[in-house]
Amino acid sequence: MVKIEHKRALLVFRFGDKKFEWPIETRYWRNPILGVAFLALLPVIFSSHPDILSLIATANIYACIAIPLAWQMTGIGRLNFGPQAFVGIGGFTAGLLSIHLGWGPWATFPIVIITGILFGLILSPLTNIAKGLYFSLVTLILPLIFLEITYYFGIFKGETGLFGIAPMISIGNIVAELIIANYFSLIMMVLFLFVVVKVFDSRIGLYSAAINDDEEVANNLGLNIKKWKIICFVVTSVMITLAGWFSAHYFGTFAGVTYLQLPFMLKILMIVMIGGRGDVYGAIYGAYFIVILEKVLTIFGTANYLLFPLILLILLFTLREGIYGIYRKHKYREYYPTIRVRKR
Amino acid sequence: MLKLDGVTKKFEGLVAVNNVNFQIEEGEIVGLIGPNGAGKTTLMNLISGTLKPTEGRIEFNGQDISGVAPYDVCHRGISRTYQIPRPFPDMTALMNVAVGVFCGKNRPNMSLSDAMLDASHFLEFVGLFGKRNMLARDLSLFDLRALELARALATTPKFILIDEVMAGLNQSEVTIAIRLIRKIVEEFHVTIMWIEHIMKIIMEATQRVVVLQYGEVLTSGLPEVVVNDPRVIEAYLGEKIA
Ligand SMILES: Nc1ncnc2c1ncn2[C@@H]1O[C@H](COP(=O)(O)OP(=O)(O)O)[C@@H](O)[C@H]1O
Ligand SMILES: [Mg+2]
Repeated sequence: MVKIEHKRALLVFRFGDKKFEWPIETRYWRNPILGVAFLALLPVIFSSHPDILSLIATANIYACIAIPLAWQMTGIGRLNFGPQAFVGIGGFTAGLLSIHLGWGPWATFPIVIITGILFGLILSPLTNIAKGLYFSLVTLILPLIFLEITYYFGIFKGETGLFGIAPMISIGNIVAELIIANYFSLIMMVLFLFVVVKVFDSRIGLYSAAINDDEEVANNLGLNIKKWKIICFVVTSVMITLAGWFSAHYFGTFAGVTYLQLPFMLKILMIVMIGGRGDVYGAIYGAYFIVILEKVLTIFGTANYLLFPLILLILLFTLREGIYGIYRKHKYREYYPTIRVRKR
Repeated sequence: MLKLDGVTKKFEGLVAVNNVNFQIEEGEIVGLIGPNGAGKTTLMNLISGTLKPTEGRIEFNGQDISGVAPYDVCHRGISRTYQIPRPFPDMTALMNVAVGVFCGKNRPNMSLSDAMLDASHFLEFVGLFGKRNMLARDLSLFDLRALELARALATTPKFILIDEVMAGLNQSEVTIAIRLIRKIVEEFHVTIMWIEHIMKIIMEATQRVVVLQYGEVLTSGLPEVVVNDPRVIEAYLGEKIA
């Protein structure tokens, strides 16, 4: 009845007189629908393991930071070492509004976006003033300043963090709430993925690549680099702010110590590096990889504080282009056949 | 078309370009020559907006463009190449040119595939169509020079600044490059300011020559007159002229 045959790069299923083809050549493997379907199964499979559900949500939140960051890196041509400042802005805005005014996640949402735009605009001149390492240094210091502020002003509850933030959803059934909120994290990640992939496939992606490669040349070719760097910085910053908004409402708590300190930034950077610099899909692989690695290493007790960065360092040096880069490199070197059209 | 009026550029004490006045008319191919360090590239950076003149005025089609941002200068119709090729190394040749197609003028309604089509025409024009999907970093020097020309053309300029295209090319490549630039003028009706270190090429290919030395205009005129000027011979002292 069902016949399966293997034709060069195709796997062909014959079902009666219907025919289904599935390409098996590696360059078609990056099928986002398959990946998302797999991720969508996870919350159901682990519905009775709240700890694993929270790991999945964490991975999705990390990806929600790393995906816009992948675009930002190319779009402003600089390495932002402080994306977590915007996670903090989103988390604290949502948390403070929720605790003091009793707002739910959908009420805080627009305010968080506005705050994100505001701070994005305030910091965006940096993309034109500070070059290379200076930009990285300045952005590295920003979240640390923010952390000091949360200690200094009582309203941020620097020591303990905010708690009692309105949950993503409340319907009375804890298990169902957890699973639905988990799907929210997945939906948010997929939306981010969709937006950034679309951007990369548009002229804005081309602009970003040009700015990343040589902004001076791009400027001479007629690209208004200042404008596009600011647009890119603000949009990606708002996206990262939303990751903070989500994690505040998902976990119900938000503390500067968790998000604003260097270890968190290291994790995000590692996700981006392991995923492959400036690679959107890689960011997701990276996020899940880091979360799983961190969980696995907890069996070593306190030694994992040493092991975790050690393993990441080794990976960083051995996989220059990231895990995903191994495959990507393979793809990039496959040049199309060179046909000379006209002989001179 | 292009008018320089007392253009001066100082780098902290060093006067790289000093009170330069000259004019280029539409349709001309003007050669700009001079020994190394004469300020040729600096002058080009001033025109293209990469650098701001310390003093003086640069006019293009009657509009003052001194101090205008580079992208704006490009939108007004001035395009350039680089002495040391500066492609976007991690992009394919086709993408490199597509950036020029998209950005050279405001083209809000152009789709990505339109731009690719346009870009491949420019690539074919310079003879790089077969290498359109190669990463720019893997191209040879000669191909990079052609790519830069294609990219400059893609912005649909009226005026192209060419900086030492011939440096590092062998004899047959030089012949092809000269033919290519002639073809550009024929088909796109652009005006060209051509910087070159080697005088022989300039003699063959241009109608008028401006000689720069220590940032100042030494002399200008027909190539065969300029090459026999004793001051020019002295400026190039020790170097074989023609
Ligand atoms: N950005 C800069 N800063 C300082 N000095 C510069 C700069 N660019 C060029 N110069 C100096 O200006 C002079 C002219 O350089 P350049 O225009 O590159 O000469 P050419 O292209 O004619 O060989 C040189 O002495 C060079 O050192
Ligand atoms: Mg030069």
